[in-house]
Amino acid sequence: MTGAASTTTAAAAAGDRPIRRVLGIETSCDETAAAVVEDGTTIVSSVVSSQIDLHARYGGVVPELAGRAHVELLTPVLADALEQAGSDHTGRGIDGIAVTHGPGLIGSLLVGVAEAKALSMVWGVPLVGVNHLEAHLFASLLEQPDLGWPLVVLLVSGGHTMLIEVTAPGEYRLMGGTIDDAAGEAFDKVARFIGLGYPGGPAIDRISAQGDPTAYAFPRSMPGDGYDFSFSGLKTSVVNRVRKEPDASTADVAASFQEAVVDVLVTRARAAAADVGARALCLAGGVAANSLLRARVEQVCADDGIGAFLPSRALCTDNAAMVAAAGHWRLHHGDRSRLDLAADANLRLVSTV
Amino acid sequence: MDDVGASGFVTLLALETATDLVGAALLRSDGALAERTHVGGRAHGELLAPAIEEVCALSGCTLADVDALAVDVGPGLFTGLRVGVATAKALGQSLGLGIVGVTSLDILAAGALEVGGPERAARVVAVVDARRREVFAAAYEFGGPSGPGGDQAVPAAVRHDRSEALSPDELATWLDGLVADGPVLVVGNGAVRYLDLLAPRPGVDTGLAGEVAAPSPATLARLAARRIGAGTEPTAAGDVVPDYRRHADARINWEERAPQRTPPPADGT
Ligand SMILES: [Zn+2]
Repeated sequence: MTGAASTTTAAAAAGDRPIRRVLGIETSCDETAAAVVEDGTTIVSSVVSSQIDLHARYGGVVPELAGRAHVELLTPVLADALEQAGSDHTGRGIDGIAVTHGPGLIGSLLVGVAEAKALSMVWGVPLVGVNHLEAHLFASLLEQPDLGWPLVVLLVSGGHTMLIEVTAPGEYRLMGGTIDDAAGEAFDKVARFIGLGYPGGPAIDRISAQGDPTAYAFPRSMPGDGYDFSFSGLKTSVVNRVRKEPDASTADVAASFQEAVVDVLVTRARAAAADVGARALCLAGGVAANSLLRARVEQVCADDGIGAFLPSRALCTDNAAMVAAAGHWRLHHGDRSRLDLAADANLRLVSTV
Repeated sequence: MDDVGASGFVTLLALETATDLVGAALLRSDGALAERTHVGGRAHGELLAPAIEEVCALSGCTLADVDALAVDVGPGLFTGLRVGVATAKALGQSLGLGIVGVTSLDILAAGALEVGGPERAARVVAVVDARRREVFAAAYEFGGPSGPGGDQAVPAAVRHDRSEALSPDELATWLDGLVADGPVLVVGNGAVRYLDLLAPRPGVDTGLAGEVAAPSPATLARLAARRIGAGTEPTAAGDVVPDYRRHADARINWEERAPQRTPPPADGT
């Protein structure tokens, strides 16, 4: 075995059958999801059961409620994903299992990880734990398998706001992140404050179409010289403005707030892409479904002569297909998790290749 | 374990995660038992699957040989219960098996009977620590003149369940009432936690509380086997849920709660 290329030894040593179809499982927040992906690129089935209605009355995700709901949704979601993939409870045709094991809500992550381990034991197929953030990065690869490197990914969701340089699959460098609220969190909080309900992102996106984005000049906070973000000052500014002006048009407030968030996100992402000579700028995460953000990113990328990769809305929000895709790549490179795989609420995104 | 083979299973796998004790037991109808437990940690998610693999290896079988599943559905640690129940559901679904769900209180009472014997454990109160200075408890009467040996392991016939959470003082008052009819053996981690309050009370036997502090996978396996033998139908994997006995704590850790303004009118108005 001497002299074998280091990247292939693990895969060879594992002695498993070739990894073609991977079952992905995602329960890190408030979506219970399962999907089957073939060769890391073709979505064979993808089932997402959202708990939005459950959490709406609280204006945000309640961790204990989410954990409970995952337990109840687990069985039907898996059954649907397997059936739509032409498989069944025996796991026929499934060569590996990938599960999100962090970051996220610990009580939610544990449910998916427990399920994945049980299936791995019964079906006798390899298991790999996947970082949820890495899974989001793989979402665009599902639709654009020929992405060029390096690229800069703007990952924006209810829990995360970060700029990541990707020099190749598995090679990541965190360029910046939020120092307070995540972008999606700011959307949810402002939406709740101005009475738009939960989830805030789609609600603000919708009503902003009827508002004037220049009605209010909300602050654009860009902390430091690097690529960090801050949204709590903006949120406070919106709250203060509405308190002072209770009759302010909700559409104008929403549109002006959205304009400020998108302005900051796009300005920093564009600078980051230029800084590393990125061949493309890529969006990921639930906030990537925002129509203004998508339009602006397309526009600046066209201006700068680089690619813009905007995953479809279904792949921006949490799903298990992206987990399966990331897992396929890891399994293909010999990565295997043991049965004592831990869920880690604060799992960091690190390069492992 | 005479004659369990006639009662509808060959190899039963039991999962226990309701308290700090995490583990699995594999019971075969010839009476052979393998058990693996870990005590003291909160790493249920990391410990359970390896324990399952170990009891299978110890028994010289695979999960494909398992034809009955049992799980402790609580009450107990919320995340622990979720790990156990989610594991059981996925095992049940992938193996095409139903699941016998058993409450932690029943398992504790069965454990008290196993350890204390029919005389000392004729009357048992099982107490699970619910944290926040509360407990869950249930009272059991075993044996008696009509209770033939084998069926004593099925603590269901006479059970007084306190489904709501009790304060330690409410538990003590309840026990004081129960001992009027004779001594009571009190077990479970809730009894251990409030030993200072319970031990001095006349008629309250806390001598086995430490030994029967946590429900054990082996006891769960034997109890579930008895129930299957007595005709209990397993629950479909999709229908098994933890018995939390408490509403979810609806906190999201955000500072502002209710909307400050009224919602906009519905579209078109
Ligand atoms: Zn996400």
